[in-house]
Amino acid sequence: MLQIIIQGLLLSGLYALIAMGFMLIFSIGRTLNLAYGAYIMVGGYIYFWLSQQLGLPKLIGFAGAVAVGAIMGLLKHRLIVKPLKGDPVAVEISTLILAVIMQSAVVLVFGDASKILLPIIPGVVTISGAQVTYNIVAATLMSWVIILALYAFIRGTHTGRAMQAVSMDQKGAAISGVDPDRINMITWAISGGLGAAGGVFFASYTQLSPGMWVAPVIISVAIVIVGGIGSIIGTLIVAHIIGFLEIIVVAVWAPELRGVFTMLLIIGVLIMRPQGLFGREEH
Amino acid sequence: MPGLAQTLFITASGAGMNLRPHHFILWALFIAGMLLMPELVGRGTLRTMVFACYLAIFAISWDILSGRTGYISFGHPFLVGIGAYTTAILTRRYGFPVEASIPIAVLVTMFGGLIVLLPALRIKGSYFALVTLAVMELMYQLVPVVRPDLTGGTRGISRLPALTRGAENGYYLAVCLMLAVALFAWLLMRTRLGTALWAIGQNEESVRGSGLSTTRLKSFAFLVSAAIAGLGGAFYAHYLGTITPRAFFDINVLFQIIVAVLIGGAGTILGPIIGAFFMVFLLEWLRPFLPGQERFFVYGAIALLIYMYQPKGIMAIIESGITRLRGART
Repeated sequence: MLQIIIQGLLLSGLYALIAMGFMLIFSIGRTLNLAYGAYIMVGGYIYFWLSQQLGLPKLIGFAGAVAVGAIMGLLKHRLIVKPLKGDPVAVEISTLILAVIMQSAVVLVFGDASKILLPIIPGVVTISGAQVTYNIVAATLMSWVIILALYAFIRGTHTGRAMQAVSMDQKGAAISGVDPDRINMITWAISGGLGAAGGVFFASYTQLSPGMWVAPVIISVAIVIVGGIGSIIGTLIVAHIIGFLEIIVVAVWAPELRGVFTMLLIIGVLIMRPQGLFGREEH
Repeated sequence: MPGLAQTLFITASGAGMNLRPHHFILWALFIAGMLLMPELVGRGTLRTMVFACYLAIFAISWDILSGRTGYISFGHPFLVGIGAYTTAILTRRYGFPVEASIPIAVLVTMFGGLIVLLPALRIKGSYFALVTLAVMELMYQLVPVVRPDLTGGTRGISRLPALTRGAENGYYLAVCLMLAVALFAWLLMRTRLGTALWAIGQNEESVRGSGLSTTRLKSFAFLVSAAIAGLGGAFYAHYLGTITPRAFFDINVLFQIIVAVLIGGAGTILGPIIGAFFMVFLLEWLRPFLPGQERFFVYGAIALLIYMYQPKGIMAIIESGITRLRGART
């Protein structure tokens, strides 16, 4: 029982972190950014390259991953999203193409075989019979730090509040003296950085492989939609619902069914209540 | 209110089709050209063309739903996969003859798609795309787990009965199937029904405003699309002889279908075919240089460039080229 709670909390923290970056983009442009998975994947691989292949300190590896993710987010906004003028279908499809391009780029550079990431912080602690690695504890703590910082940033700073304003009403925000273009750029960069950071932890939780981006994208989509667009609290709650759901299914039922209930949940909620469980009404 | 079949009959038999002699000539030339291919090219190229034909069928199926109505389906591999798995299970596990299993596979695909995706037509835009994506991923996770004695688990089903022998016959079968599907889709889109589907993509509210049931129209587009996907999937499974979950319920399959339509030209009949042939031949041509999945890097980059330059695809690029040539001459 305690094991389920601990593992559930750890996995949920990770999911919440991954979903945050996706939520930012989805709430600001209603853009289904399938290339978000590419940030996750690239973040993991950059960290692997810097810290394991080049032997640089882990902190530099992590910073490098976040920086590359942020740059990717910026470039994506400049080169693809802006020229398409926010046509959601075109953006969706171009992000799908981009995600597949990034996947094959990773195959090109790192090869097809999956790679094991060394734990960021080595060591194991046993809590009531459950083996918990320091690595995943650190990942969860880090994701909570990042989530809280993001929350403070969005609620507390002028730029953060402007981001909220743009996500609610682009024109209204522009009239009140906010430059939506600048805010969009900042949001895409933050989202890319968050995705890459999530990717480092996600890769250390599972492993690095060129196909690793699909599952986290679908999970973040599920969390964001079910949680309601633009709601940080909703995202957090649903990340825990899905995290615990998966751990319970694995522990009680069968590991193969892990993703099945997540998919059923997202399909059900989308059809019954498209605005999500905690979201504001869309018009 | 007349039923759907009746409406279809009235519109098809009426003057709405607007068929002209040059249509028949162009179609005859196209069909004759495709059927003459085995005389002109080698066996290896024919095999590549078979894949292109099947991809073109899936692309046309996707285009009927998503290219026309604007409801982007990320779940088409799911429909193709149901068709393939149904006929595979029926022939290998229950000893059905192929003549019976393929029609059943088409019906099962329509039915399966209906249950799973029809409720999703209530929602719009990204949400519809998401539900279909989730359904595909759900199938990928379920197929190996539920009744592995039937589906063969992650290893799939092998040694399916083959429909034809030899590269030429395989090609004739695939190309005839593709031509039949293309002709059917072309005729369908020339009816008033086709116009209505296209109008939904332009402005759904105004279609509803003119007294048409958009739900019924969308369901119809969906059923036709599912039937074609199931048909293509079933024949494709017998052509391959082996099916696995990853070969069907995969985001790369989805990528190939969607990109074939988009770089060819959505909302046209020739577009998806051109796109599919372009895609398959480019990938085949890249094989000596990049053997594995890396090929998609070059391919995706080209697709993205074409898409960013002209979202209407190669068809529109060709058309604007022709008008420019004509303009230069006069």
